[in-house]
Amino acid sequence: MRGSLRVWFTIVLLVFLHFLLHLGFGFGDVAPDLLTISLLLAAREVGMGTAAGIGFLFGLLLDAFSILAFGANTVAMAALGAAGARTRDLFVGDSFFFVVFYLFLGKWAKDLLHWLLVGEGLREPFFQALLVQSSLNAAYVAVVGVLAVTITNAWWESPR
Amino acid sequence: MSAYTTETVDSSGRRQLMATVVFLVAAVVISYLPASTQQHVAASLRGTVLRPFVATQEAIITVGSRASETAGLRRRVDSLVAVMTAEGALVEENRRLREMLELSRKVGPTFAAATVVRAGTTGSESTFLVDVGSTEGINPNAPVISSQGLLGMIRDVRTDQAVGMDWTHPDFRASAMTADGATYGVVESRRGLFREEDRLVLDGTAFHTRLEDGTVVLTSGLGGVFPRGVPIGLVSGQASAEGGWRKSYWLRPLAEPGVATHVLIAVGDSADGSMDLSPVWPGGAVMTEEQLAARDQARRDSLNALGDSLLVMKRMIADLAPRDGLGQSGPSGARPEVTRR
Repeated sequence: MRGSLRVWFTIVLLVFLHFLLHLGFGFGDVAPDLLTISLLLAAREVGMGTAAGIGFLFGLLLDAFSILAFGANTVAMAALGAAGARTRDLFVGDSFFFVVFYLFLGKWAKDLLHWLLVGEGLREPFFQALLVQSSLNAAYVAVVGVLAVTITNAWWESPR
Repeated sequence: MSAYTTETVDSSGRRQLMATVVFLVAAVVISYLPASTQQHVAASLRGTVLRPFVATQEAIITVGSRASETAGLRRRVDSLVAVMTAEGALVEENRRLREMLELSRKVGPTFAAATVVRAGTTGSESTFLVDVGSTEGINPNAPVISSQGLLGMIRDVRTDQAVGMDWTHPDFRASAMTADGATYGVVESRRGLFREEDRLVLDGTAFHTRLEDGTVVLTSGLGGVFPRGVPIGLVSGQASAEGGWRKSYWLRPLAEPGVATHVLIAVGDSADGSMDLSPVWPGGAVMTEEQLAARDQARRDSLNALGDSLLVMKRMIADLAPRDGLGQSGPSGARPEVTRR
Protein backbone atom coordinates (compact mmCIF):
# COMPACT_ATOMS: atom_id res chain seq x y z
CA MET A 1 0.00 0.00 0.00
CA ARG A 2 2.88 2.32 0.84
CA GLY A 3 4.37 1.59 -2.57
CA SER A 4 1.06 2.37 -4.25
CA LEU A 5 0.76 5.66 -2.38
CA ARG A 6 4.25 6.55 -3.50
CA VAL A 7 3.27 5.87 -7.11
CA TRP A 8 0.16 8.03 -6.88
CA PHE A 9 2.10 10.80 -5.20
CA THR A 10 4.62 10.65 -8.06
CA ILE A 11 1.81 10.72 -10.64
CA VAL A 12 0.16 13.80 -9.09
CA LEU A 13 3.53 15.51 -8.72
CA LEU A 14 4.40 14.87 -12.37
CA VAL A 15 1.05 16.26 -13.54
CA PHE A 16 1.55 19.38 -11.45
CA LEU A 17 5.13 19.82 -12.67
CA HIS A 18 4.08 19.31 -16.29
CA PHE A 19 1.69 22.23 -16.27
CA LEU A 20 3.94 24.34 -14.09
CA LEU A 21 6.89 23.95 -16.48
CA HIS A 22 4.99 24.06 -19.77
CA LEU A 23 2.26 26.54 -18.92
CA GLY A 24 3.34 28.37 -15.78
CA PHE A 25 6.96 28.98 -16.74
CA GLY A 26 6.37 28.77 -20.50
CA PHE A 27 9.29 26.42 -21.15
CA GLY A 28 7.47 24.68 -24.03
CA ASP A 29 9.36 21.83 -25.64
CA VAL A 30 12.37 22.36 -23.40
CA ALA A 31 10.43 20.71 -20.58
CA PRO A 32 9.75 16.96 -20.92
CA ASP A 33 6.27 15.54 -21.42
CA LEU A 34 5.68 14.65 -17.78
CA LEU A 35 1.95 14.22 -18.37
CA THR A 36 2.56 11.21 -20.60
CA ILE A 37 4.96 9.75 -18.04
CA SER A 38 2.37 10.13 -15.30
CA LEU A 39 -0.32 8.52 -17.50
CA LEU A 40 1.94 5.60 -18.31
CA LEU A 41 2.72 5.16 -14.61
CA ALA A 42 -0.96 5.36 -13.67
CA ALA A 43 -1.88 2.89 -16.39
CA ARG A 44 0.23 0.24 -14.66
CA GLU A 45 -1.69 0.76 -11.43
CA VAL A 46 -5.32 0.62 -12.54
CA GLY A 47 -7.63 -1.25 -14.89
CA MET A 48 -7.98 -0.51 -18.57
CA GLY A 49 -11.18 1.53 -18.24
CA THR A 50 -9.85 3.67 -15.39
CA ALA A 51 -6.61 4.27 -17.29
CA ALA A 52 -8.62 5.31 -20.33
CA GLY A 53 -10.58 7.71 -18.09
CA ILE A 54 -7.40 9.23 -16.67
CA GLY A 55 -6.05 9.59 -20.21
CA PHE A 56 -9.31 11.19 -21.26
CA LEU A 57 -9.00 13.83 -18.51
CA PHE A 58 -5.33 14.49 -19.22
CA GLY A 59 -6.08 14.82 -22.93
CA LEU A 60 -8.86 17.29 -22.27
CA LEU A 61 -6.48 19.43 -20.23
CA LEU A 62 -4.02 19.44 -23.14
CA ASP A 63 -6.77 20.22 -25.62
CA ALA A 64 -7.80 23.27 -23.61
CA PHE A 65 -5.13 25.14 -25.61
CA SER A 66 -5.81 23.51 -28.95
CA ILE A 67 -8.02 25.45 -31.34
CA LEU A 68 -8.22 23.46 -34.54
CA ALA A 69 -7.35 19.96 -33.37
CA PHE A 70 -9.54 19.84 -30.29
CA GLY A 71 -10.01 16.24 -29.19
CA ALA A 72 -6.85 14.86 -30.78
CA ASN A 73 -5.00 14.79 -27.47
CA THR A 74 -8.07 13.39 -25.70
CA VAL A 75 -8.38 10.44 -28.05
CA ALA A 76 -4.62 9.84 -28.08
CA MET A 77 -4.27 9.95 -24.30
CA ALA A 78 -7.36 7.80 -23.65
CA ALA A 79 -6.11 5.16 -26.09
CA LEU A 80 -2.62 5.32 -24.60
CA GLY A 81 -4.01 4.86 -21.09
CA ALA A 82 -5.97 1.80 -22.16
CA ALA A 83 -2.99 0.35 -24.02
CA GLY A 84 -0.68 1.05 -21.08
CA ALA A 85 -2.99 -0.80 -18.71
CA ARG A 86 -3.17 -3.69 -21.15
CA THR A 87 0.61 -4.15 -20.99
CA ARG A 88 0.22 -5.21 -17.37
CA ASP A 89 -1.46 -8.40 -18.58
CA LEU A 90 1.29 -9.04 -21.07
CA PHE A 91 4.48 -8.06 -19.24
CA VAL A 92 5.57 -8.30 -15.62
CA GLY A 93 7.56 -5.15 -16.18
CA ASP A 94 9.96 -5.24 -13.27
CA SER A 95 13.15 -4.79 -15.27
CA PHE A 96 14.98 -1.57 -15.96
CA PHE A 97 14.89 -2.08 -19.73
CA PHE A 98 11.16 -2.64 -19.71
CA VAL A 99 10.65 0.72 -18.01
CA VAL A 100 12.85 2.45 -20.57
CA PHE A 101 11.10 0.84 -23.56
CA TYR A 102 7.66 1.25 -22.01
CA LEU A 103 8.16 5.00 -21.57
CA PHE A 104 9.90 5.43 -24.93
CA LEU A 105 7.29 3.52 -26.92
CA GLY A 106 4.43 5.03 -24.91
CA LYS A 107 5.50 8.58 -25.74
CA TRP A 108 6.21 7.73 -29.36
CA ALA A 109 2.85 5.98 -29.74
CA LYS A 110 1.07 8.97 -28.19
CA ASP A 111 2.80 11.31 -30.67
CA LEU A 112 1.92 8.97 -33.54
CA LEU A 113 -1.75 8.92 -32.55
CA HIS A 114 -1.82 12.68 -32.15
CA TRP A 115 -0.11 13.13 -35.51
CA LEU A 116 -2.69 10.90 -37.18
CA LEU A 117 -5.63 12.65 -35.53
CA VAL A 118 -4.72 16.32 -36.03
CA GLY A 119 -5.48 16.20 -39.74
CA GLU A 120 -3.40 16.68 -42.82
CA GLY A 121 -3.45 20.46 -42.84
CA LEU A 122 -2.00 20.83 -39.38
CA ARG A 123 0.61 18.11 -39.17
CA GLU A 124 4.24 18.25 -40.10
CA PRO A 125 5.84 15.73 -42.47
CA PHE A 126 6.09 12.20 -41.04
CA PHE A 127 9.87 12.06 -41.13
CA GLN A 128 10.43 15.30 -39.23
CA ALA A 129 7.50 14.96 -36.86
CA LEU A 130 7.80 11.35 -35.82
CA LEU A 131 11.14 9.94 -36.85
CA VAL A 132 13.14 12.94 -35.67
CA GLN A 133 11.22 15.06 -33.16
CA SER A 134 9.09 12.36 -31.57
CA SER A 135 12.01 9.96 -31.30
CA LEU A 136 14.06 12.61 -29.53
CA ASN A 137 11.12 13.55 -27.31
CA ALA A 138 10.48 9.88 -26.52
CA ALA A 139 14.12 9.39 -25.55
CA TYR A 140 13.88 12.52 -23.39
CA VAL A 141 10.73 11.18 -21.74
CA ALA A 142 12.36 7.79 -21.15
CA VAL A 143 15.40 9.33 -19.48
CA VAL A 144 13.38 11.72 -17.34
CA GLY A 145 10.80 9.04 -16.54
CA VAL A 146 13.44 6.55 -15.39
CA LEU A 147 15.06 9.26 -13.29
CA ALA A 148 11.69 10.19 -11.78
CA VAL A 149 10.71 6.63 -10.85
CA THR A 150 14.22 5.92 -9.57
CA ILE A 151 14.30 9.00 -7.37
CA THR A 152 10.81 8.42 -6.00
CA ASN A 153 11.15 4.62 -6.08
CA ALA A 154 7.69 4.67 -7.60
CA TRP A 155 8.08 1.75 -9.98
CA TRP A 156 9.87 -1.13 -8.35
CA GLU A 157 8.23 -0.82 -4.93
CA SER A 158 4.72 -0.76 -6.30
CA PRO A 159 2.82 -4.05 -5.89
CA ARG A 160 1.94 -5.47 -9.30
CA MET B 1 -16.21 -20.70 -4.63
CA SER B 2 -13.80 -20.68 -7.51
CA ALA B 3 -16.65 -20.18 -9.96
CA TYR B 4 -17.84 -17.19 -7.95
CA THR B 5 -14.33 -15.64 -7.94
CA THR B 6 -13.95 -16.13 -11.67
CA GLU B 7 -17.29 -14.50 -12.27
CA THR B 8 -16.25 -11.47 -10.19
CA VAL B 9 -13.02 -11.14 -12.10
CA ASP B 10 -14.85 -11.52 -15.38
CA SER B 11 -17.45 -8.90 -14.49
CA SER B 12 -14.70 -6.50 -13.36
CA GLY B 13 -12.90 -7.07 -16.65
CA ARG B 14 -16.11 -6.46 -18.56
CA ARG B 15 -16.71 -3.25 -16.64
CA GLN B 16 -13.19 -2.06 -17.43
CA LEU B 17 -13.67 -2.92 -21.08
CA MET B 18 -16.99 -1.11 -21.16
CA ALA B 19 -15.44 1.93 -19.47
CA THR B 20 -12.62 1.91 -22.02
CA VAL B 21 -15.07 1.86 -24.89
CA VAL B 22 -17.15 4.63 -23.30
CA PHE B 23 -14.14 6.90 -22.79
CA LEU B 24 -12.78 6.28 -26.28
CA VAL B 25 -16.16 6.95 -27.86
CA ALA B 26 -16.55 10.08 -25.72
CA ALA B 27 -13.11 11.27 -26.85
CA VAL B 28 -14.01 10.73 -30.50
CA VAL B 29 -17.37 12.47 -30.02
CA ILE B 30 -15.60 15.45 -28.44
CA SER B 31 -13.43 15.73 -31.55
CA TYR B 32 -16.53 16.18 -33.69
CA LEU B 33 -18.44 18.62 -31.48
CA PRO B 34 -19.18 22.05 -32.93
CA ALA B 35 -16.22 24.42 -32.57
CA SER B 36 -18.18 26.72 -30.26
CA THR B 37 -18.94 23.86 -27.86
CA GLN B 38 -15.33 22.70 -27.97
CA GLN B 39 -14.10 26.19 -27.17
CA HIS B 40 -16.62 26.45 -24.36
CA VAL B 41 -15.18 23.28 -22.81
CA ALA B 42 -11.64 24.53 -23.39
CA ALA B 43 -12.40 27.93 -21.86
CA SER B 44 -13.96 26.26 -18.82
CA LEU B 45 -10.80 24.21 -18.26
CA ARG B 46 -8.56 27.23 -18.81
CA GLY B 47 -10.64 29.24 -16.37
CA THR B 48 -10.70 26.63 -13.60
CA VAL B 49 -8.17 23.79 -13.35
CA LEU B 50 -5.50 25.45 -15.48
CA ARG B 51 -6.10 29.00 -14.29
CA PRO B 52 -3.34 28.94 -11.63
CA PHE B 53 -0.77 27.93 -14.23
CA VAL B 54 -1.91 30.58 -16.72
CA ALA B 55 -1.86 33.14 -13.90
CA THR B 56 1.69 32.08 -13.02
CA GLN B 57 2.94 32.85 -16.50
CA GLU B 58 1.00 36.12 -16.59
CA ALA B 59 2.53 37.06 -13.24
CA ILE B 60 6.04 36.24 -14.45
CA ILE B 61 5.58 38.38 -17.55
CA THR B 62 4.01 41.20 -15.53
CA VAL B 63 6.82 41.17 -12.98
CA GLY B 64 9.34 41.30 -15.80
CA SER B 65 7.52 44.20 -17.39
CA ARG B 66 7.18 46.13 -14.17
CA ALA B 67 10.84 45.69 -13.43
CA SER B 68 11.71 47.30 -16.71
CA GLU B 69 8.98 49.92 -16.54
CA THR B 70 10.06 51.68 -13.40
CA ALA B 71 10.96 55.26 -13.95
CA GLY B 72 14.34 54.98 -12.29
CA LEU B 73 15.30 52.09 -14.47
CA ARG B 74 14.12 53.92 -17.55
CA ARG B 75 16.25 56.93 -16.61
CA ARG B 76 19.22 54.66 -16.13
CA VAL B 77 18.63 52.93 -19.44
CA ASP B 78 18.27 56.29 -21.15
CA SER B 79 21.46 57.58 -19.63
CA LEU B 80 24.94 56.90 -20.81
CA VAL B 81 25.73 55.01 -17.62
CA ALA B 82 22.86 52.60 -18.14
CA VAL B 83 23.81 52.04 -21.74
CA MET B 84 27.28 51.05 -20.58
CA THR B 85 26.15 48.89 -17.70
CA ALA B 86 22.73 47.42 -18.47
CA GLU B 87 22.76 43.98 -20.02
CA GLY B 88 20.96 42.72 -23.09
CA ALA B 89 17.73 41.17 -21.79
CA LEU B 90 16.60 44.13 -19.71
CA VAL B 91 17.51 46.66 -22.36
CA GLU B 92 15.75 44.55 -24.95
CA GLU B 93 12.61 44.30 -22.82
CA ASN B 94 12.68 48.04 -22.22
CA ARG B 95 13.09 48.74 -25.89
CA ARG B 96 10.12 46.56 -26.77
CA LEU B 97 7.92 48.21 -24.16
CA ARG B 98 8.88 51.69 -25.30
CA GLU B 99 8.18 50.76 -28.90
CA MET B 100 4.84 49.35 -27.84
CA LEU B 101 4.04 52.53 -25.89
CA GLU B 102 4.96 54.59 -28.92
CA LEU B 103 2.84 52.39 -31.16
CA SER B 104 -0.05 52.55 -28.69
CA ARG B 105 0.13 56.35 -28.78
CA LYS B 106 0.08 56.36 -32.58
CA VAL B 107 -2.81 53.96 -33.14
CA GLY B 108 -4.94 55.51 -30.42
CA PRO B 109 -7.70 54.02 -28.27
CA THR B 110 -8.93 51.64 -30.96
CA PHE B 111 -6.41 49.06 -29.81
CA ALA B 112 -6.12 47.42 -26.39
CA ALA B 113 -2.73 46.51 -24.91
CA ALA B 114 -2.36 42.88 -23.86
CA THR B 115 0.16 40.45 -22.45
CA VAL B 116 0.83 37.29 -24.43
CA VAL B 117 0.94 33.91 -22.68
CA ARG B 118 1.99 30.74 -24.48
CA ALA B 119 0.72 27.38 -23.29
CA GLY B 120 3.70 25.32 -24.45
CA THR B 121 1.67 22.11 -24.47
CA THR B 122 1.16 19.59 -27.27
CA GLY B 123 -1.37 20.88 -29.78
CA SER B 124 -1.05 24.51 -28.70
CA GLU B 125 1.62 25.36 -31.25
CA SER B 126 1.00 28.62 -33.12
CA THR B 127 -1.59 29.75 -30.59
CA PHE B 128 -1.39 32.08 -27.62
CA LEU B 129 -3.51 33.48 -24.81
CA VAL B 130 -3.99 37.18 -24.13
CA ASP B 131 -5.18 38.70 -20.88
CA VAL B 132 -7.96 40.79 -22.45
CA GLY B 133 -11.37 39.60 -23.55
CA SER B 134 -14.89 40.69 -24.42
CA THR B 135 -14.93 43.01 -21.39
CA GLU B 136 -12.30 45.14 -23.13
CA GLY B 137 -14.20 44.98 -26.42
CA ILE B 138 -12.17 42.28 -28.13
CA ASN B 139 -14.02 40.37 -30.87
CA PRO B 140 -13.14 37.17 -32.77
CA ASN B 141 -10.90 37.81 -35.83
CA ALA B 142 -9.47 40.95 -34.24
CA PRO B 143 -5.95 41.59 -35.57
CA VAL B 144 -3.05 41.30 -33.16
CA ILE B 145 -0.11 43.59 -33.86
CA SER B 146 3.29 44.07 -32.30
CA SER B 147 5.58 47.04 -32.67
CA GLN B 148 7.08 45.37 -35.77
CA GLY B 149 3.84 44.54 -37.53
CA LEU B 150 1.13 41.93 -37.88
CA LEU B 151 1.51 39.04 -35.43
CA GLY B 152 -1.78 37.18 -35.89
CA MET B 153 -5.45 37.29 -35.05
CA ILE B 154 -7.87 36.40 -32.28
CA ARG B 155 -9.86 33.19 -32.69
CA ASP B 156 -11.85 32.70 -29.50
CA VAL B 157 -12.92 35.37 -27.00
CA ARG B 158 -14.02 34.94 -23.40
CA THR B 159 -14.86 37.49 -20.74
CA ASP B 160 -11.38 38.15 -19.46
CA GLN B 161 -9.13 36.35 -21.92
CA ALA B 162 -8.89 35.38 -25.54
CA VAL B 163 -7.09 32.81 -27.67
CA GLY B 164 -5.27 33.90 -30.77
CA MET B 165 -3.20 32.34 -33.53
CA ASP B 166 0.01 33.77 -34.91
CA TRP B 167 1.12 33.81 -38.53
CA THR B 168 2.78 30.38 -38.24
CA HIS B 169 -0.64 28.75 -37.95
CA PRO B 170 -1.64 26.84 -41.11
CA ASP B 171 -4.99 28.68 -41.17
CA PHE B 172 -3.44 32.14 -41.19
CA ARG B 173 -4.36 34.22 -44.24
CA ALA B 174 -4.11 37.95 -44.85
CA SER B 175 -4.90 40.02 -47.88
CA ALA B 176 -1.73 41.95 -48.69
CA MET B 177 -0.15 44.51 -50.98
CA THR B 178 3.20 46.11 -51.54
CA ALA B 179 3.85 49.48 -49.91
CA ASP B 180 3.34 51.31 -53.23
CA GLY B 181 -0.01 49.59 -53.75
CA ALA B 182 1.02 48.20 -57.14
CA THR B 183 0.88 44.49 -56.31
CA TYR B 184 -1.77 42.61 -54.41
CA GLY B 185 -1.88 39.04 -53.15
CA VAL B 186 -2.65 36.81 -50.22
CA VAL B 187 -0.12 36.10 -47.48
CA GLU B 188 -0.27 32.64 -45.97
CA SER B 189 1.83 30.50 -43.70
CA ARG B 190 4.03 27.84 -45.22
CA ARG B 191 5.39 25.05 -43.02
CA GLY B 192 9.12 24.39 -43.13
CA LEU B 193 10.68 20.98 -42.61
CA PHE B 194 10.92 21.98 -38.96
CA ARG B 195 8.92 24.60 -37.10
CA GLU B 196 11.91 26.94 -37.01
CA GLU B 197 11.72 27.08 -40.79
CA ASP B 198 8.09 28.25 -40.94
CA ARG B 199 7.80 31.14 -43.37
CA LEU B 200 5.26 33.37 -45.02
CA VAL B 201 4.41 33.35 -48.69
CA LEU B 202 2.86 36.14 -50.71
CA ASP B 203 0.76 34.18 -53.17
CA GLY B 204 -1.43 35.09 -56.10
CA THR B 205 0.51 38.07 -57.43
CA ALA B 206 0.23 38.87 -61.10
CA PHE B 207 2.82 37.10 -63.27
CA HIS B 208 4.01 40.25 -65.02
CA THR B 209 4.96 41.98 -61.74
CA ARG B 210 8.39 41.57 -60.26
CA LEU B 211 9.14 42.24 -56.61
CA GLU B 212 12.66 42.99 -55.48
CA ASP B 213 14.08 41.51 -52.30
CA GLY B 214 13.40 43.74 -49.32
CA THR B 215 10.11 45.09 -50.68
CA VAL B 216 7.76 45.80 -47.78
CA VAL B 217 4.45 43.90 -47.83
CA LEU B 218 1.54 45.34 -45.87
CA THR B 219 -2.03 44.34 -45.17
CA SER B 220 -4.31 45.67 -47.90
CA GLY B 221 -7.48 45.98 -45.83
CA LEU B 222 -9.40 43.91 -48.38
CA GLY B 223 -11.66 41.32 -46.86
CA GLY B 224 -12.47 43.45 -43.85
CA VAL B 225 -10.44 41.48 -41.31
CA PHE B 226 -7.19 43.39 -41.01
CA PRO B 227 -6.83 47.16 -41.15
CA ARG B 228 -4.86 48.53 -44.10
CA GLY B 229 -1.17 49.34 -43.82
CA VAL B 230 0.10 46.94 -41.14
CA PRO B 231 3.53 45.56 -42.11
CA ILE B 232 3.68 41.78 -42.56
CA GLY B 233 7.08 41.03 -44.03
CA LEU B 234 9.83 41.76 -46.49
CA VAL B 235 10.12 39.98 -49.84
CA SER B 236 12.91 37.43 -49.72
CA GLY B 237 13.06 35.76 -53.10
CA GLN B 238 10.64 34.16 -55.50
CA ALA B 239 8.97 30.98 -54.26
CA SER B 240 7.29 29.78 -57.44
CA ALA B 241 5.81 30.82 -60.77
CA GLU B 242 2.77 28.82 -61.73
CA GLY B 243 1.53 28.31 -65.26
CA GLY B 244 2.73 31.65 -66.50
CA TRP B 245 -0.10 33.50 -64.80
CA ARG B 246 0.90 34.03 -61.20
CA LYS B 247 3.94 34.20 -58.96
CA SER B 248 4.50 33.72 -55.28
CA TYR B 249 7.27 35.18 -53.13
CA TRP B 250 8.85 34.18 -49.84
CA LEU B 251 8.43 36.76 -47.10
CA ARG B 252 10.72 37.43 -44.21
CA PRO B 253 8.24 38.04 -41.35
CA LEU B 254 8.65 41.26 -39.41
CA ALA B 255 6.95 40.18 -36.18
CA GLU B 256 8.47 37.14 -34.51
CA PRO B 257 5.88 35.27 -32.45
CA GLY B 258 8.48 33.71 -30.16
CA VAL B 259 9.65 37.02 -28.73
CA ALA B 260 6.30 38.83 -28.56
CA THR B 261 5.24 39.37 -24.96
CA HIS B 262 3.21 42.58 -25.32
CA VAL B 263 0.83 43.25 -28.20
CA LEU B 264 -2.01 45.48 -29.28
CA ILE B 265 -5.40 44.05 -30.24
CA ALA B 266 -8.09 45.87 -32.20
CA VAL B 267 -11.12 46.78 -30.12
CA GLY B 268 -14.73 46.60 -31.25
CA ASP B 269 -15.30 47.20 -34.96
CA SER B 270 -12.00 48.98 -35.45
CA ALA B 271 -10.54 45.87 -37.02
CA ASP B 272 -12.36 46.30 -40.32
CA GLY B 273 -10.48 47.16 -43.44
CA SER B 274 -11.65 50.77 -43.52
CA MET B 275 -8.98 51.76 -41.01
CA ASP B 276 -5.65 52.79 -42.49
CA LEU B 277 -2.59 52.36 -40.29
CA SER B 278 -0.05 53.23 -42.98
CA PRO B 279 1.04 56.45 -41.22
CA VAL B 280 1.93 54.44 -38.11
CA TRP B 281 4.69 52.64 -39.97
CA PRO B 282 6.38 55.09 -42.37
CA GLY B 283 8.86 53.60 -44.84
CA GLY B 284 11.96 53.86 -42.66
CA ALA B 285 10.24 52.48 -39.58
CA VAL B 286 9.64 49.01 -41.02
CA MET B 287 12.33 46.71 -39.70
CA THR B 288 12.71 43.08 -38.73
CA GLU B 289 13.53 42.10 -35.15
CA GLU B 290 17.12 41.42 -36.23
CA GLN B 291 17.44 44.82 -37.88
CA LEU B 292 16.01 46.52 -34.81
CA ALA B 293 18.38 44.67 -32.53
CA ALA B 294 21.28 45.58 -34.84
CA ARG B 295 20.22 49.23 -34.84
CA ASP B 296 19.96 49.19 -31.08
CA GLN B 297 23.38 47.60 -30.78
CA ALA B 298 24.85 50.16 -33.17
CA ARG B 299 23.33 52.94 -31.09
CA ARG B 300 24.81 51.48 -27.92
CA ASP B 301 28.21 51.05 -29.59
CA SER B 302 28.04 54.64 -30.80
CA LEU B 303 27.22 55.91 -27.32
CA ASN B 304 29.99 53.78 -25.85
CA ALA B 305 32.44 55.25 -28.36
CA LEU B 306 31.20 58.74 -27.54
CA GLY B 307 31.65 58.03 -23.85
CA ASP B 308 35.20 56.79 -24.46
CA SER B 309 36.01 59.87 -26.54
CA LEU B 310 34.70 62.15 -23.82
CA LEU B 311 36.76 60.32 -21.24
CA VAL B 312 39.92 60.66 -23.33
CA MET B 313 39.24 64.37 -23.91
CA LYS B 314 38.66 64.88 -20.20
CA ARG B 315 42.00 63.24 -19.37
CA MET B 316 43.79 65.32 -22.00
CA ILE B 317 42.29 68.52 -20.59
CA ALA B 318 43.17 67.44 -17.08
CA ASP B 319 46.78 66.75 -18.17
CA LEU B 320 47.05 70.12 -19.87
CA ALA B 321 45.52 72.08 -16.98
CA PRO B 322 48.58 72.26 -14.59
CA ARG B 323 50.95 73.26 -17.39
CA ASP B 324 48.63 76.06 -18.44
CA GLY B 325 48.37 77.24 -14.85
CA LEU B 326 44.62 76.76 -14.74
CA GLY B 327 43.03 76.37 -11.37
CA GLN B 328 41.76 72.84 -12.05
CA SER B 329 43.44 69.88 -10.38
CA GLY B 330 44.00 66.86 -12.60
CA PRO B 331 44.56 63.21 -12.03
CA SER B 332 48.29 63.43 -12.84
CA GLY B 333 49.26 64.08 -9.22
CA ALA B 334 51.38 67.17 -10.10
CA ARG B 335 48.90 69.71 -8.83
CA PRO B 336 49.27 69.13 -5.05
CA GLU B 337 53.08 69.56 -5.30
CA VAL B 338 52.62 72.90 -7.08
CA THR B 339 50.26 74.03 -4.36
CA ARG B 340 52.76 73.17 -1.59
CA ARG B 341 55.50 75.22 -3.27
